[in-house]
Amino acid sequence: MGVTILHQFPVENRTGPAVIELLTKRIAALGAVQHGQFLVDCETYSSVPQLGHQRTVHVLHNSEQPATVFSLLETGTKTIPLATDGLFDLLMMKMSSFYTSKKQTKAESKGPRFEIGDFCVKLGTVTVSSNFKGILVEVEYRPCIVPQMCWELMKEFLQGFLGSSVLSNPPVYFQNKMNDVYTPIDTIHQYLEHFTIFRKSPAGIRT
Amino acid sequence: MERDIEQLNSALNSVKVLRSNVRRIFDSVSNGLRADHGDDGKENKFITELQEILTTVNTNLRDVEGSVANLTTPGGPFSLGNTTYLSQETTLERQALYGQLVNSYKWTDKIREYSALAGNILAANSFNKSYKTFSTTKRRKTQTSNHNVSPEVIENIITNVDRLFPDITLTTSRPFVANPLIQASLGRVLRGHIAFKGLMIEWVVVKAHGESTDIWTESRYKVFRKVTENCHAAMCHFHSPMMPELAVRSFMHWFHSYQNLFSVPCKRCGNHLHNNLPPTWRDLRTLEPYHEECK
Amino acid sequence: MGAPGTAMDSLSAALKCNIIPNQEYLLQGSVLDQYVEVLLHRLRGLCDNVDSGPESFQDHELCFTLRAANPSPTSIALPLRVRRALDVADAPWQLRYVGQQELGDKSRPTVVRSSIDMACTSTIVEFLTELGCRVDFEYTARGYMFRKGRMKITVSKIFKVGGMPNKPEGLEPISQSYLVELSVLAPSGQDAIAEDMRIFAEQLRPLVQLEKIDYKRLGN
Repeated sequence: MGVTILHQFPVENRTGPAVIELLTKRIAALGAVQHGQFLVDCETYSSVPQLGHQRTVHVLHNSEQPATVFSLLETGTKTIPLATDGLFDLLMMKMSSFYTSKKQTKAESKGPRFEIGDFCVKLGTVTVSSNFKGILVEVEYRPCIVPQMCWELMKEFLQGFLGSSVLSNPPVYFQNKMNDVYTPIDTIHQYLEHFTIFRKSPAGIRT
Repeated sequence: MERDIEQLNSALNSVKVLRSNVRRIFDSVSNGLRADHGDDGKENKFITELQEILTTVNTNLRDVEGSVANLTTPGGPFSLGNTTYLSQETTLERQALYGQLVNSYKWTDKIREYSALAGNILAANSFNKSYKTFSTTKRRKTQTSNHNVSPEVIENIITNVDRLFPDITLTTSRPFVANPLIQASLGRVLRGHIAFKGLMIEWVVVKAHGESTDIWTESRYKVFRKVTENCHAAMCHFHSPMMPELAVRSFMHWFHSYQNLFSVPCKRCGNHLHNNLPPTWRDLRTLEPYHEECK
Repeated sequence: MGAPGTAMDSLSAALKCNIIPNQEYLLQGSVLDQYVEVLLHRLRGLCDNVDSGPESFQDHELCFTLRAANPSPTSIALPLRVRRALDVADAPWQLRYVGQQELGDKSRPTVVRSSIDMACTSTIVEFLTELGCRVDFEYTARGYMFRKGRMKITVSKIFKVGGMPNKPEGLEPISQSYLVELSVLAPSGQDAIAEDMRIFAEQLRPLVQLEKIDYKRLGN
């Protein structure tokens, strides 16, 4: 598991498939080979009023870690991550009288997955309850586990195929975490942050 | 020496001829008169024959005397050292030991001869790309062998290296005594698995932190496979039979420069990536980072 | 390679095929401290892991319940247990839901209760606390684990948790006996295993009586 950066690629009046096709061409020209598809999904559950103050549980799955369920509990003051076996989904069903899911918020990002050198690139089409919302590009540099060490290198790679839309500073999520060891839950955090913004924005407009 | 053997051979030969002719005399004497001597004057014929053979024997005897006179007498008895006692060995299976001993002496002799030749040739044609200019005479006394050293010496060197580089964490295991296998964790960047043969670095493989510690499988990441390759080059470059300790230290010093593997751009082209790889080469002297293609 | 299905799809497929082990068949009993050695000796002979010897364990278990803040008689509670190994430092924590146990009639040899068992990260305690769960009780269990086919046999001593759970000498045992549990985790409907368990329990008599324990009756 290496450092992963999630980048939102501006759509600018194009359709989702057109952007994916454009990026696929660019990455293939660099020598990338497609290795299957990927899928990250997120379901959000809210606590019922009888349980006291409002809490939210986000349950995410990542096809890169297919046997794991990631959960993030938001209490309003802090976020607690949890990684469990796949059966956690069964447990969430048992909890249905305490935590209920809003079907309209089911978010997912899916699309082709490429490998190029030690990089893994995923071009994700984001939908929230089946409505197209935008494009998320995930780039993982697998040999390196500390963001501080490889940020410059990853920036160079990102700019190489995404152009000027790449920021010159690390994503906000990495603040205070640049010297920590990167773990899969960090990728999940980044997805959730993006999904949360996408959910609030009207379909397809966010650039 | 060559001539001695020739003379010895001819002397032995003449002894052989002499013995065979003497035998013929006894043959003919013991047979006495035979049918092929005919009827007339058979005694005379027999005597003539005997005389002929005796003359030959005489000549042969002179030959033997002549060739023996030519031989050089060896200077005193051969000293076999302790091996003489082997002849007193009574157990059957150990009686062959002497032959084996002689064989091994022969091999040792050959090795000396060949290594002397190889040494001469190598000294004449330097394959060394380095800039090292050290006087061999001054340091030769330090170590004569680098693959047969006591574990304590190796232990000392490893502890020294460990102390020298605070950001390299060394863990040592000894599957075979005196030949340690060390895992050198370089910060959070990579982990090198280094196998020693005595004081000589014999094998290096570089992997990511999470990967298996097996030293025969290579890393799944291209960048570490490339670094492994370069480590092999450096291992050969720094190898120095005369100063094995220095070789290990220089190698570790060079290895240490990989701590910025992901974070520094190439000295030549200024970019981080080339062929989707960071600068995987470190200059052997200046330790500056270069891409494989830029060095 | 096609697009990966969602995790929920594969989970419901697994549920449909009935391959998720979500039923626990359970028999329990106890043995006095002075006879535990005899029982262990017996188990060593009967069980599979003969050559490696019994596996020892020391676990800390926290029992949580998720219930509404102002409980009404109709509201249900969700019991959850968190277990962690004290003797193996890097083992994952374990989260477990154990449902109501069904005693069934006399013909059923074991207790059956639904169970969802999963490994999890060490953030689980904070996660459950913030989720709204309250700790009901906690204890540490120290003992041995045996295997016999699919059956798991644990012989453990239960200690109160007080002060330092990592210090064995600071532990206060709850009783003068060891808890013996015989259990199998299996997908629902595999009742044949219960019969195997009955036969195995039979072989441990009269050292220990493994029975269906009715907690409701004990409570009175």
